[in-house]
Amino acid sequence: MKILTTVKKVVDVELNIHVQDGAIVEDGLQYVINAWDESGVEAAVQLKENHGAETTLVSVGGGDNTDIIRRCYAMGIEKGIHVDDPALEKADSFIYARVLQKVFEKGDYDLVITGKQAQDTDNGQTGIILAEYLGLPCVSNVVGIEVIDDTHLKVTRSGDTGDEIVELALPAVVTVDVSINEPRLPQMRGLMMAKKKPIEKMDLAALGTSAEEIGCAAPKSEVVEFMPTEKRAGGRKFEGEAADITAEVVKLLAEEAKVL
Amino acid sequence: MNPLLMSVLLIVALGVFARTMIGKIRLLQALQPAERVNHIAERVKNMLVLAVGQKRLIGRRRERSSGIMHAFIFWGFCVLLIRSIMIYGEAFQHGFTLPLLNEAHLAGYLYTALKDVMEGIVLAMILYAFYRRIIVRPARLHNSFEAYLVLALIGILMISDLLYDGARYNLTQLYHNPAGIHFFNNPRYGTEFAWTPVATGAASLISHLGMKANMALMTAMFWLHICTQLVFLNILPLGKHFHVITALPNVFLKSLGYPHEKPKLLDLEDEAAWEDESLGINHIHQLNWKQGLDLYTCTECGRCKDVCPAHVTEKPLNLFEFNDRLKHELLANADKVIQRFRLAATLAQCSDEAGAEKIRERMAALNSEKQLVDDVIAEDTLWACTTCRACEEVCPVTIEHVPRIVAMRQGQTLMAEAYPKELNPALKGLERNGNPWGIGYDKRADWAEGLGVPIMAENPDVDYLFWVGCAGSFDDRSKKVSKAIVTILQKAGVRFAILGTEEKCTGDFARKVGNEMLYQMSAQENIETLNGYGVKKIITACPHCLNTLKHEYPQLGGRYDVTHHSVFIAQLVTSGRIRIEPSLAGALTYHDPCYLGRYNEVFDEPRSLVQAAAKGVYKELDRCGRESFCCGAGGGRMWMEETIGKRINLERAEEIVSCQVANVAVGCPFCLTMIEDGMKELEKEEEIRTLDIAEIVAQSLA
Repeated sequence: MKILTTVKKVVDVELNIHVQDGAIVEDGLQYVINAWDESGVEAAVQLKENHGAETTLVSVGGGDNTDIIRRCYAMGIEKGIHVDDPALEKADSFIYARVLQKVFEKGDYDLVITGKQAQDTDNGQTGIILAEYLGLPCVSNVVGIEVIDDTHLKVTRSGDTGDEIVELALPAVVTVDVSINEPRLPQMRGLMMAKKKPIEKMDLAALGTSAEEIGCAAPKSEVVEFMPTEKRAGGRKFEGEAADITAEVVKLLAEEAKVL
Repeated sequence: MNPLLMSVLLIVALGVFARTMIGKIRLLQALQPAERVNHIAERVKNMLVLAVGQKRLIGRRRERSSGIMHAFIFWGFCVLLIRSIMIYGEAFQHGFTLPLLNEAHLAGYLYTALKDVMEGIVLAMILYAFYRRIIVRPARLHNSFEAYLVLALIGILMISDLLYDGARYNLTQLYHNPAGIHFFNNPRYGTEFAWTPVATGAASLISHLGMKANMALMTAMFWLHICTQLVFLNILPLGKHFHVITALPNVFLKSLGYPHEKPKLLDLEDEAAWEDESLGINHIHQLNWKQGLDLYTCTECGRCKDVCPAHVTEKPLNLFEFNDRLKHELLANADKVIQRFRLAATLAQCSDEAGAEKIRERMAALNSEKQLVDDVIAEDTLWACTTCRACEEVCPVTIEHVPRIVAMRQGQTLMAEAYPKELNPALKGLERNGNPWGIGYDKRADWAEGLGVPIMAENPDVDYLFWVGCAGSFDDRSKKVSKAIVTILQKAGVRFAILGTEEKCTGDFARKVGNEMLYQMSAQENIETLNGYGVKKIITACPHCLNTLKHEYPQLGGRYDVTHHSVFIAQLVTSGRIRIEPSLAGALTYHDPCYLGRYNEVFDEPRSLVQAAAKGVYKELDRCGRESFCCGAGGGRMWMEETIGKRINLERAEEIVSCQVANVAVGCPFCLTMIEDGMKELEKEEEIRTLDIAEIVAQSLA
């Protein structure tokens, strides 16, 4: 089984993200692997370890992605491709999916594993659009993957009220949820070996396509502006007898909040 | 007596003994190097206090009776060694005595009296030892055949010598000395028997047997004593009583300057080390010779497990069993370890690559068949340790358990990549955001907002750096402690700053769980920052940070004068820069954090501060000071679930509750969390408040 996994470099959302003049302030930000993709990588590596799958990883855009691709090598991914091109600067989910489609078509893959969403935009579309472009079956929000045989998987899709068990004929696309596994922490030995492994870097031309073909000229969606979230004001705590508090709250609602 | 028989006995016994010892020493020589032969004066002092003085045996309130028992058996043995030389000499020369210790000198008589009384005391102690093992049966004792055998042998040694002297008394004093037995008889001091009440007592028991029987008994007891001693000597190296021989050297060779061997700074770029799996302890031959000597010396007394927070709460960590298993694995692989050592020497000389490769293959083939962790020591056992050092503090022969455990964890994490995966979120948090909570590094100084605390980057011209630590920066409860410290420092007019978002976890927990990579990354970044600002003096509220900054960063080139906030605040009080007025209502106790007390010897300052602030009575916990009981969070356990046995923090919280106080003071953010959690679980958090020393002082400032 040949698996293609996708990895997006995203901003670490544990940090405060500051917005100035409609744009994100880059200073002090740090970039990490999208958590959902990290789970996808872990799922692929587990399939490699348990079923002898071959694993390839592709990352699109993001500038210097060496660190995150090496990290995935250290987790157990065998081959890494990085597609980047100035034309991809304003790429949306559709454009990413087109690039991934080209990568898929150049290889002989049986399964694509993507994170179900990225933690920077939370769009959750790329994997599904990719499946549409490829004309392949797709199961989203996957929380479990079992191998039936070389051409069939049994995947568990988490729904609102329960799990759906889907038998899937390969080739296919799955988009995974973070709850599918706990990604391993790359260790020293793997990181050292990863340094020696080459990363296949290519632009759109090298991928055998062009900015026009994948639709860079007219993206279907565009980020116009970033806006900071309003800071919530702190609450107020009232202490004392219930009757007194009620009276005070009513008074404040009428006079201060002016909602009564 | 018969010199020929004695010669044969001595040659055989000493020959066999020498052969055993050479084997044991060779094995130690084949282990890894350790730098221990230095600072001789200090080492001799340690040996005199701890080994000869039996400090940890008689010095501990909890174990005093057995301690006194052991001390007298030990001292008795020392006294009797001299007597033994005389007995061996007697076989070769009638009336053999040592210089000074003969009838011409008072010293000879005094020694005879001392020996006699000591024999009586040792015999009494042996009876007490049997009584303890058979009737009292303390839980920590492992009742083995060997233990009884050795007690019996010591008993025989005493009885045989006393009866030997008793028979000599009868023969010389009652039967007119038919065989011309030599005895002290200086007109100034009288006969030696006037000085030997115990032996003369023994004599009266056998006086009715008649001359012939006494004669026979004297000879029999002489040879029984000799043979027992030689048998005893030869069984010593075979079991736990090897400590009789190794304890003194082991104490002499103990770590100096820091309570145990510091973790080795591993060279993670060393490819050869990855190749032969020598980062951390992965194979039995990777112990250093001192660790090997520790294993030889373990007496299975069980004091370690008695104070071990993991063992007390039913985790599968039993330190003497741990030692015993390692020892047997070492002995089982002795030949291979020695062979391997010789091959390593050949390899160092080998210049051609093909030959070297062959030697390396042969060396690899000499690895033990057993996996050190799994087959010899169970994983749960290895990861149960909180590195609290209680075991080391009570070990009478100064065995260093913790460094070995940490080195084995290094092996598990680095080589085998088999560590508890529940550590991953904390490790990942450290890697990404410099703190085990994984909160964005940019929020590190949020707690100080509006307090007027200078940040080093903006104000590097200060006297002290306040190292806040991750807990003090991110944990809501500990942030209050950080604020209290700021209040005190500002009140005293101390010129200080914090690093703010430039501070990172010291890496303590990562190192203790064997993740040397993350530790070194974090430490190097911190040292770069600290050295960049030319920081010299650091104050911190976290004993784990204190310990790492003070004792472990020098390995990486970070040398700072680091002080715990309790010590610093106490200095402020002494110098009159702040004044404390009693304000804290209710009785109070203090919980010693392991990394402050046992690791860094700070016991008095926290006590003096909280006592000064307390209106109520101060009470000590049952387990306090050097024998304080861990909260359960050390050694990376803060970031692991505690699924086996009782929770350690609960055990400690119960002890505090039983102390009947209204406040418990702590000096460590992890202790604060663990003990407060314990109180919540016991639904006592309203009645017993858990407070940091700084909080108590801040609210009591005059």
